[in-house]
Amino acid sequence: MVQHMNRRRFLKQVALYSGGLSLSLPLFRIPESLALDMPVPDVAQVTGSDYTALVKKTMDLLGSMGSFVKPGDKVVVKPNIGWDRSPEQGANTHPEVVSALVVLALDAGADQVQVFDYTCNEKRRCYNNSGMTDAIKSIGSKKARLVHVDQRKFVPVKIAKGQSLKQWDFYKDALTADCYINVPVAKHHGLSRLSLGLKNSMGVIGGRRGALHHDLGQNLADLATVLRPQLTIVDATRILTDNGPQGGSLKDVKVLDTLLGSVDPVAADAMATALFGLAPEDISSTVAAHRMGLGQMDPARINLLSGSV
Amino acid sequence: MEKASPIGAYRWLRRGRIASQALFFLLFIFLFVKTDYTGSDTIEYAVNILFRIDPLLALATMLAVKTVISLMLPALLVIALSLLAGRSFCGWLCPLGGLLDGWSRLFGSAKPQSATKFSFLPKVVLIVVLVSALFGVPLAGYVDPFSILVRGLSQAVYPGINDVSVTFFTFTYQHLPATVNLITEPLYSFLQHTILPFEQKFYQLGLVSLFVLFIVVIAEHGQKRFFCRNICPLGALLGWFSRMGVLSLAGGNEDCRACRRCAQICRMGAIDEHRTIDVETCVLCMDCFEKCPRQIISFGAEVPISRGVGGGLTRRQFLAATSASLVLPSVLGVRTLNVQADPLLIRPPGSLAEPEFLNRCVRCGQCMQVCITNGLQPVMLRAGIEGMFSPYLVARTGYCEFNCTLCGQVCPTGALQVLDLDAKHRFKIGHAWFDKDRCLPYAKGIECIVCEEHCPTPEKAIKFRNVDIVTEGGNKQQVQQPYVDDALCIGCGICETKCPLPDISAIFVTSAGEHRHPDSRLPTAQEPLGYGS
Repeated sequence: MVQHMNRRRFLKQVALYSGGLSLSLPLFRIPESLALDMPVPDVAQVTGSDYTALVKKTMDLLGSMGSFVKPGDKVVVKPNIGWDRSPEQGANTHPEVVSALVVLALDAGADQVQVFDYTCNEKRRCYNNSGMTDAIKSIGSKKARLVHVDQRKFVPVKIAKGQSLKQWDFYKDALTADCYINVPVAKHHGLSRLSLGLKNSMGVIGGRRGALHHDLGQNLADLATVLRPQLTIVDATRILTDNGPQGGSLKDVKVLDTLLGSVDPVAADAMATALFGLAPEDISSTVAAHRMGLGQMDPARINLLSGSV
Repeated sequence: MEKASPIGAYRWLRRGRIASQALFFLLFIFLFVKTDYTGSDTIEYAVNILFRIDPLLALATMLAVKTVISLMLPALLVIALSLLAGRSFCGWLCPLGGLLDGWSRLFGSAKPQSATKFSFLPKVVLIVVLVSALFGVPLAGYVDPFSILVRGLSQAVYPGINDVSVTFFTFTYQHLPATVNLITEPLYSFLQHTILPFEQKFYQLGLVSLFVLFIVVIAEHGQKRFFCRNICPLGALLGWFSRMGVLSLAGGNEDCRACRRCAQICRMGAIDEHRTIDVETCVLCMDCFEKCPRQIISFGAEVPISRGVGGGLTRRQFLAATSASLVLPSVLGVRTLNVQADPLLIRPPGSLAEPEFLNRCVRCGQCMQVCITNGLQPVMLRAGIEGMFSPYLVARTGYCEFNCTLCGQVCPTGALQVLDLDAKHRFKIGHAWFDKDRCLPYAKGIECIVCEEHCPTPEKAIKFRNVDIVTEGGNKQQVQQPYVDDALCIGCGICETKCPLPDISAIFVTSAGEHRHPDSRLPTAQEPLGYGS
């Protein structure tokens, strides 16, 4: 496959290029020659206050849920439910966005749709107060389950392509899902500036997660070489502009009623960055992941599909 | 039938007593398991009911703080019961009594001995507890039967059962074939949803709490109801009310000749060689009523207080007990902790100032059982020998969850005040400090600020400065160096819990600035310590 060859070439070049380089420098620029070889991914960006319709429209622009979920599939929908905060506070993925995605996956014939996150605050409080418990329950299907992380299911994975991380514990169900849908909430973060799709993968790994904060951008990119979502939906219905990632004050919340979706995890993050008035290269995980050939970050090489409902 | 045979009635009464013990023990276990976060910010019912009907704790606590604690007024119900029906509480309702009787039934016990070894001791313990309480030394929680029971269960037995379950089901999940898991996984799920705790918890004094309960239970093999007969000050108190009350018990008489069956089988040793039943000791288990060959043991009524109000101790015993309990308060005053309290003694949110807090705390461990992060731990000696088993926050184990107010809600005595969410958000239990020799951005130039990420106040109490540094390798670099905003930090300790250093956290909470002690306020530029008010 051309793409596969490209990735190998990238990795070779990147390994030469990045020797001894610290990614914590915020203004690291990718070489044009690397980005040129990337395909042009679609990113859907839809606005509307009816979140069920919003999800539907976003999926329609990307080619409907049926092109991602096949009948009988085991699906994982991975929102951010990390914090003991209400939906209005914008620290977690909006429950209506999640439940609408779950319903679409069920309609596409999924045999099982699991929703979970490895939370930062106490897990029951996070699930309940984020509105996720009620949202999943209200779907009323036994195939849709909001589950707590089971410590027995973390498996160590060798990260063959990792530059900073060589091995980490991943959640088995996330790795083995037929379709893994990443549904981050877009928000401010003190260290990484923004928490988007790549940062959301912190919720399916075990171990001492705090230790990843040194060289976080590269670490997240390394994790992304293992964890490959079929679909990324960035929830920007509400964005936290300050005091992230958990916020708490409504004055830091901006209601945008927007979703972004893409099969390209890096492109989704890159386009979401603009909502905060930042550029893709301001986010070190986007830069690192792009440099490793995991996706496109140059807005000029991303096909934006706008819509509204 | 016109005339009910008394043996039939007595048999049913005895069965009723056993059923009542079983029922109340199950009710206790139900409440115990329910003493947890259940998805709501308010807890509907918890084991704290048990502590609020406990007259010993009520009396000791109110003597200590010299005021009526309305939370504990339900204890009047048990007093009323004792005035009417003797120590039926001990025989029919007490969960520890039920546990001991059940244990004897299952595993056997020593033969009942008519002579109780230290029959005077419960009264001495009672006097010592009450007099000490009056002089500000809270000891009730060490000897109260409910405190011993709940502490042992919640801090050792219950987490222990969970630990064994997790180990077992992890083994079946990881090493046994899928066919076995078809059975074990649903079973594990069922247990998790019914009796197992939601999370594995860990306790600093788990073994000590277990040891105390173990001694109480294992003493059954030395003497039936050993604890109740020789130690329990609650029993002594209820016995006193029983003697003040109306119940009288008619035992055997001279016509029984050589028969001493009643005295031989009595689990409490309440019946003497003259077959007289001591209303202060009898727990109305109904064994002798049924087993008496002549069925002549019966209830009667007495004029209240006609038996005298004396304590049943000799004058010498009474004076010795009273004066002994005066020694402790006088020597406790000279400890260094009176000059400087332990700075790592972080009390839960809503705690009263230290002396009143300790006077009210009955060491039931409810706050620790309900603490959803496992941060609250029983203290050993940080709060003095009279402070053992009281709660403190060990932030490396768990933090104080920002939106949680459960500990105050379950506290049976108000040692922890009930805080509404707004008050809780502002209640400062301590203050976070950086150890810049350990903190990665300061000490190593390594980026981190996990503490800032987790800081829960809406405007973060941990902020950071972007600082240009030169790394060990000589590279110029910018790192974010965190600092604490004194006005915002409430000492919840999540920063200490989540600090990624593997050993000692580079940020730690001390009791400085805690709201319950206005004297410990932090210095500010406008008002350095030693100046101002």
